[in-house]
Amino acid sequence: MIYSVVGHYSLILGLCVGLILIFFSIQNFKNSNQLDTKILSFSFLQLFFVLISFLALIISFVISDFSNETVFNNSHTTKPLFYKISGTWGNHEGSLLLWLLVLTLFIFIFLLRTKNQPIKYKILTLGFQQVIIIGFFLFLIQTSNPFNYLFPVPDEGLGLNPILQDPALAIHPPILYLGYVGSSIIFSSALAATTLKMVSTSWAIHIKKWVLISWIFLTLGILLGSIWAYYELGWGGFWFWDPVENVSLMPWLALTTLLHCILVLERKEILTSWVIILSIATFTLSMCGTFLVRSGILNSVHTFANDPERGLFILIFLFALIFLSLFIFFFFHQTSKNNSSNFFWLSKETSILVNNWFMMYFLSVVLIGTVYPIFLDVISSQKISVGPPFYHKLIAPFLIPFLFAMAIGPRLKWIRSDLKDKIYLIFLLIICILISFFIVKNFNTNILINTILISSALYLFFITLRDFFSKKYKNFAQNTAHFGFSLLILSILFNNLFSSEIITNLKVGETYDNSKTKIVFESINQNKEKNYKSIIANFNITNSEGINNKLSPELRIYNQPKITTSEADIKTTLMKDKFIVINLVQNQDYFNVRYQVKPFMLWIWLSVIMISLGGLVSILQKRI
Amino acid sequence: MKKFKAFIIIFFLLFCNNLYANENSQRNEITKNLRCLICQGQSVYDSDSDFANSMKILVDKKLDQGLSEKEIYIYFKEKYGDWILYDPGLNKNTYLLWLLPILIFVFGGAIIAKSFILKK
Repeated sequence: MIYSVVGHYSLILGLCVGLILIFFSIQNFKNSNQLDTKILSFSFLQLFFVLISFLALIISFVISDFSNETVFNNSHTTKPLFYKISGTWGNHEGSLLLWLLVLTLFIFIFLLRTKNQPIKYKILTLGFQQVIIIGFFLFLIQTSNPFNYLFPVPDEGLGLNPILQDPALAIHPPILYLGYVGSSIIFSSALAATTLKMVSTSWAIHIKKWVLISWIFLTLGILLGSIWAYYELGWGGFWFWDPVENVSLMPWLALTTLLHCILVLERKEILTSWVIILSIATFTLSMCGTFLVRSGILNSVHTFANDPERGLFILIFLFALIFLSLFIFFFFHQTSKNNSSNFFWLSKETSILVNNWFMMYFLSVVLIGTVYPIFLDVISSQKISVGPPFYHKLIAPFLIPFLFAMAIGPRLKWIRSDLKDKIYLIFLLIICILISFFIVKNFNTNILINTILISSALYLFFITLRDFFSKKYKNFAQNTAHFGFSLLILSILFNNLFSSEIITNLKVGETYDNSKTKIVFESINQNKEKNYKSIIANFNITNSEGINNKLSPELRIYNQPKITTSEADIKTTLMKDKFIVINLVQNQDYFNVRYQVKPFMLWIWLSVIMISLGGLVSILQKRI
Repeated sequence: MKKFKAFIIIFFLLFCNNLYANENSQRNEITKNLRCLICQGQSVYDSDSDFANSMKILVDKKLDQGLSEKEIYIYFKEKYGDWILYDPGLNKNTYLLWLLPILIFVFGGAIIAKSFILKK
């Protein structure tokens, strides 16, 4: 009770501080010899208030204070402490409070850490950021207050959706939000730089760090969500082109494009307009994501809030931000005067343009695939589904030239280049095609496209691998990320080709046997935990090589809300995952058993970690 | 360095021969393209709901009757509408969906080439 009051009032105070900050920013902007120390103190104060509010919500969750509506809707006394805490951001209100916390945290760090940049620029960035922050404050207080009071106080809460009670999902939102919200800094700073006409190489070097930070967090956030989907949703897949997954992928694509573009701007004052547009687009896409998820117009596993009022608010807010940024872009932006934007066709600049070109294409595929069904439904009330086949058909063929460009591009020099070791490159290409053909020929799948896809990924793989050992090649960060990407594509392709599965119905004591695999359903145990009962099935699986595995998938029957989840049991080894999951079949005494052998699963995760590692190296290394 | 490369190539070739093919039945391919209507964002293949299980049996039945993959899709489309198919075919509702990304790619390429590379 008391915590809700404290939390609520700190929110209002935080909003007031936001208004005060705007006032001081305007004052300070007029005579800007020195950054007003008040600005820094008030930013800290705002962060402090949001933090208090956030802690108050966490405490309300920990002590199960059901007079708080958010806690009532999303918690339960028998839930383990860890999930009580993670439940704080496992719901709409709490997750928005987390957004706000990260927003205020980032702008504070930005003010603190940004040196050697004009005072006006810092103040203006703060101003734009405050517009976003105030918007979120209003949104939170108006439509989704996390501290709504309930009377009479209920005895017990409704509980957190069991599929969200998971360690990966506990840290997935904070990490993802660090990425999402990090792009707000890029947005504000790009607008400030445009207004002050200081989009230049030095600005690019300064903002690159922020781009990298958000990019790393966004990458890791998406990875965590994917890992969670893999073992929790119980079907052994890791990416389904679900609208909400797409919504997190879109800012990632925009951010990756921006990251490459900044590399050019870092050296030469060209592509300025494009960098600004990308900075605006990245944040707008993050906001769009929030709108699409929160408004509940998407049919997806993530939709835990369906409220048209919220959707409308975000939509208006989003349009206001887009309008503001377009206004600033068209009235203040100056295209670079020097007309040296003529690129030689074979140069690093051109290869980065090629990257941008393809990335924008991938982005448009994902964007159109996600929003087209919504528009079609609104216009002609016809419902269609756009699923994996659509994305695979449109993305896979374009991935091939993209991978080749990724292999060749970094080897080129700035301004004008010619291709060295041509014979080596062609020789390698032939080897890659041969290897791929040997792999693919065993399958009765589409040989041509698979061979070419695997060859192109292998090509990138070998070239980046070789560059790790070559001395004349210095860009370790780029090479790590590109190597990671080749590994990712290879793992996904192999995983797709070599996965095998057995679906069968078994009773306790029964055995399934085909020529390759023998599955013995040995026994069943029952277990009682604090907030769920579990049925644990014990399987003994022998494959054709005589290797024995004991796997014990689980069914959990949660008490509140009453939902049954199946917990897969996964045996992970370096080369393959063995994945087993059971399900109850209604009115039958047998279980539906699904056993999958999935090669290279571990490598999919590792390669994404490697990609983000590339980003980390880039932050740490000194500019050459 | 040469030995290292040779080693990697040999490793890959050996390794490829050890992989075994999977028996991806036609049923799996088909059910991956069907939406489980009572689930949220899952295909019939991925889901274990009762609806999905009965759909799987239905697909098996249709395959036994000798229907081709396409005929099965048409069957489900007539029964449940376009919503059930994850692969939106090219028709008057989806021209824009399929062609817009391609157009963006073509025009994007043209703009890049014109403003940066071919500029005199």
